[in-house]
Amino acid sequence: MPALPLDEAGKYVAGAYLVFLTLVLIYVAIMAAKVARIQRELGELADLAEGRPDDNPPGADAGAQENARGEAEGKVLERERSSREELV
Amino acid sequence: MKVPSLRDNAIAAALVLCAGFALVFFYAPLDADQGFIQKIFYLHVPLAICSLAGFVIGGIFAIAHLRTDKAIYDVRSYVAIHLSVIFGVGVLITGSIWAHASWGKWWVWDEPTLVSFLIVFLLYATYYPLRYAIEDRDRQARYASVFAITAGAFVPLNFVAVRMAQSLVHPRVFATANGGLPGSMMLTFLVCLAGMALLWIALVRFELAAKAASASLSRLRRALEGEEYAPQSGSRIAPRVPSSATSPS
Repeated sequence: MPALPLDEAGKYVAGAYLVFLTLVLIYVAIMAAKVARIQRELGELADLAEGRPDDNPPGADAGAQENARGEAEGKVLERERSSREELV
Repeated sequence: MKVPSLRDNAIAAALVLCAGFALVFFYAPLDADQGFIQKIFYLHVPLAICSLAGFVIGGIFAIAHLRTDKAIYDVRSYVAIHLSVIFGVGVLITGSIWAHASWGKWWVWDEPTLVSFLIVFLLYATYYPLRYAIEDRDRQARYASVFAITAGAFVPLNFVAVRMAQSLVHPRVFATANGGLPGSMMLTFLVCLAGMALLWIALVRFELAAKAASASLSRLRRALEGEEYAPQSGSRIAPRVPSSATSPS
């Protein structure tokens, strides 16, 4: 079969590359939505953790509470980071 | 050796793919036989190679899972197969576009290369119902690994069988009677292949990282809210991310 003229072949070539781009974009959009949901839930958990009565004993010093919370968050983040690195 | 970060991986994939596509349209010569339509092969063939290689890699991870019983290999096997199925969709669509431009038909049933790839694709499409059909997560992981190994072994066998078959119409990129692609086309093709492989790796790592974050979140929520918490999101098909993956080591 003779080669298609450039103007006609161009539509097919553009279509193929657009299909690839669309596939990648759809996948990335779905994954971005998942990551956004994880971030939202993480925010909810942070709110939940900050509102827990155990974390705010009546006699505790506010600065000490802040330090303890920061330390705990740091540990959690460090654990999350190391686990992600291990998995990837 | 230091493994590059996911961000570096993604940037490298984007740069190499863009360079490859630039070579396709501004450097690689027009094919004497097919003309401009041959440019589709610089996309279609790397997609197919990465997809098939991904299926084999999924099988290798499945072997590691059965040997070590570590759930992390099941997750890796699942993600590798998942990405390869997505790439397989791209292979089928871009192949059909080329077929319509070149042969005047979207699909040809008497061409072994097309039909064999479709068989492999449909075989892996059953991977999801297989996982979904088994409730027990450990059994699900074991059965999925056995499937991934068997299907992964089928991929190279299938490839060899198709090569041995007498193909009448499907062009060969490598090792034709005239010695294969000329240098400029081969360089372009290899850059595109490298970019596609980097993209596959980046997407696999992205999905693994998202799964790890999601699993950690579920554990955090369970720890904070107690045992009454039941995860509302996440399907049963997706493998369980191991607790060892989120514990400090």
